[in-house]
Amino acid sequence: MRILLADDNAERARAVAHVLAADPGLVVLHHRQTDLLADAVIALKPDIVLVDMARPDRDALEGIRQVTNRQDRPVVLFVDEDDPSFMEEAIMAGVSSYNVLDVPLRDVKPILRAAMALFQRHQQERDRLHKAESRLLERETVDRAKAILIRDRRLNEPEAYGWLRRQAMTRGLRIAEVAKDVVRGKEGSPA
Amino acid sequence: MTPRMTTEVRIGVLRLADSAPVLVAQERGMFAELGLDVRLSVEPSWANLADKLAYGLLDAAVMLPPLVLASVLGLRGPKANLIVPMGLTHGGNSIVFGHGDGAHGIAHGDRPQVLEWLKSQPNPPRLGVVHHFSTHNLMLRYWLALAGACPDRDFETIVVPPEQVVDALAEGRIAGFCAGAPWGDVARLRGVGQIQVGTSSIWPAHPEKCLAVHGNWAVANALPMLALIRGLLRAQAVCDRPSEADDIASLLARPDGLGLPWQATRMALPGGSGIEQIRFHTGETWFPAHAHAVWFLRQMRRWGWLDADTDLIAAARMVYRPDLLAPAVHAEGLYSAACVLSLEGHARLPMPNDPAFSPALAIASSR
Repeated sequence: MRILLADDNAERARAVAHVLAADPGLVVLHHRQTDLLADAVIALKPDIVLVDMARPDRDALEGIRQVTNRQDRPVVLFVDEDDPSFMEEAIMAGVSSYNVLDVPLRDVKPILRAAMALFQRHQQERDRLHKAESRLLERETVDRAKAILIRDRRLNEPEAYGWLRRQAMTRGLRIAEVAKDVVRGKEGSPA
Repeated sequence: MTPRMTTEVRIGVLRLADSAPVLVAQERGMFAELGLDVRLSVEPSWANLADKLAYGLLDAAVMLPPLVLASVLGLRGPKANLIVPMGLTHGGNSIVFGHGDGAHGIAHGDRPQVLEWLKSQPNPPRLGVVHHFSTHNLMLRYWLALAGACPDRDFETIVVPPEQVVDALAEGRIAGFCAGAPWGDVARLRGVGQIQVGTSSIWPAHPEKCLAVHGNWAVANALPMLALIRGLLRAQAVCDRPSEADDIASLLARPDGLGLPWQATRMALPGGSGIEQIRFHTGETWFPAHAHAVWFLRQMRRWGWLDADTDLIAAARMVYRPDLLAPAVHAEGLYSAACVLSLEGHARLPMPNDPAFSPALAIASSR
């Protein structure tokens, strides 16, 4: 079976291709970013197209048989009507699959599942990175707020931190949010 | 502060000027004052909107009417339970051909001179549309057929995302396209193409984008649904004022939102200088006429996408739900609820002498 992988994220595409290539029955095809996706489908004649849902040209795969009179085999969105939660999971992971109509469901599902697993892992890593970055940013903001309070209110460091904590408690905010306000100048000036 | 019940509603939009009513209702508090907590999701493709609506990851979305109909009828995958309680915009698309190969003369006279131009083409020219099941594709095909051409035999149509369509034309990968605002004007301003016709010339005040919601959501959330429609009706009226267009273009251009090009977007808004101006309110843009749905469905059948057995009138009635709109229009003081439904009799269609579609027949059979 020929699988066209439409994913601009090179690292993720490599990982997906690596997993799929372990099955000797599968051929993984890539398309050049400079080519239109519709052209790649016509030229490479895949049985399955795995597509990153973040791509705007995903729409090129919809109704592709009607779109090109040269494509004789209809390409349809993969759907498992008996397993809506699987479909939901695939959408959440951000990957969808278009199949040539005569490829059976049981052949496609494991391939899509393998791709989903890698997309999910990628997403989790990105989320973790994002969280780590914002935590770092929050810590910097708290430090800057403390510095402002030490300067403007003549507090020492534990007092400055205590001030932030009290504000956070009375206003029902997180310390980082109060710190952000201080840095923006809303609370930092002496009363 | 009085605490009140708010309902969270997830609405999907694309990076298009047609998304304006949703953004305006959100930004100016129209949703909030009606008790809605709206979460916007900017999606990269129409397919994403259709899938997320179908699987309940979005409650509502700005959609292409033919794509909603195709989703309900199972033409793109699963049969989805989607409904259209209101229209959002009229007009805004244009058909553009590149400068090469003598395409200049096409728009001369009463009918497009497509056949003459085709004779000089060695291969079927390629035309780009934004989605297979789009108003753009159906109106482009309608226009080509009007000129005596056969869209399937004489042309090759491919789907190109709107942001890429001008580059594809400039690089000669397509000979022309039909796309929404502002891309026709962008092609003209960049000197890579000539606007043949605005789609409002083919079908005056044609329905363009609509609001689509999941059928189950609508049933389970009758009051939020009413509030959603009311908020959008208020925003549509604001979007139609030329005096607001500068502000709205700025809202659509915000980098943390849709990030649209300000100048070209301004040209497509009311009072703008582009080939087409989107209408949001005037001419009852919000009314989802069954006659419009039937026109789209008949065109889909005309091109062989729909079999002869599908009951088109029944499909139109199942998907287009002016009955859900009526109480909202009444509540907003625009028309009485009874009057709203009679707007069906005022629905306009293109070219009544077109043999592929007889409006008299459609109106007679939908009664």
